[in-house]
Amino acid sequence: MRFMMLMIPHGYETAAPGTMPEDVERMSSMMAYNESLQKAGVLIGCDGLHPPSMGARVSFPGRKPKVVDGPFAEAKEVLGGYWMIEVASRAEAIEWATRCPGSENEVIEVRQVQELEDFSPDLQAVAEHFPSMQTVRK
Amino acid sequence: MRFMILVKANKDSEAGVMPSTEVLTAMGKFNEELVKAGVLLAGEGLHPSSKGARVRCEGAKRTVIDGPFAETKELLAGFWLLQVKSKEEAIEWIKRSPFQEGEIEIRQVFEATDFGDAMTPELLAQEDRLRAGTEKRTGAGS
Repeated sequence: MRFMMLMIPHGYETAAPGTMPEDVERMSSMMAYNESLQKAGVLIGCDGLHPPSMGARVSFPGRKPKVVDGPFAEAKEVLGGYWMIEVASRAEAIEWATRCPGSENEVIEVRQVQELEDFSPDLQAVAEHFPSMQTVRK
Repeated sequence: MRFMILVKANKDSEAGVMPSTEVLTAMGKFNEELVKAGVLLAGEGLHPSSKGARVRCEGAKRTVIDGPFAETKELLAGFWLLQVKSKEEAIEWIKRSPFQEGEIEIRQVFEATDFGDAMTPELLAQEDRLRAGTEKRTGAGS
């Protein structure tokens, strides 16, 4: 089963453009954690995201795309990064999340990834190329 | 530059309602365009938050909260990871997506070179080992 661990750092919603992690010690502990995921053979991928103030949102009022540049004043929670892992159970995914060297302001959301076989047969038929686009083990 | 395209959850996705064949067909076509243009690195959908959990970090303490997260207005339902030349190009792609409603967030992904001094040579070497391992697993970068 694949799970995404979504890192939600409170306060990141108002971070200025160009804000980067600066604490070497914290970076080291996070990298050690990443390596422990990799050594256990569960890590599929991980990434960090630049602040929302450097991003954009596209909505579709009246089916027409409308672009709004960040930051997003109404956002209370934003994504700071993610890990994609492959584990045997939801409990194992949660166990890994609890081992993360997170800070006081951080929450990790653990969410299962949809596999093709989770879809009904007629939906699987039109989504047959989906696996080639997914972050699966090849 | 890599960009993560975040698709927000709505009432249907949170209720576990799967998309219609029509929507999936349109989305499949869009995905194929992304593949043909060589910009798609990955795309995934997530099960509803009712099947998920949250882990809150407070010092050494870890609190596990089971989903759903009803109080949260902005839950993730899925994402694409795109390799493009600019934010504008990423936005252009999303404008062409078959979405009829909702809001899609576009966020640039950190590359190791973005970190500057915080990324010591030792950490950079560790990062390289990590990338080499995950690329082997996902087939990305090949």
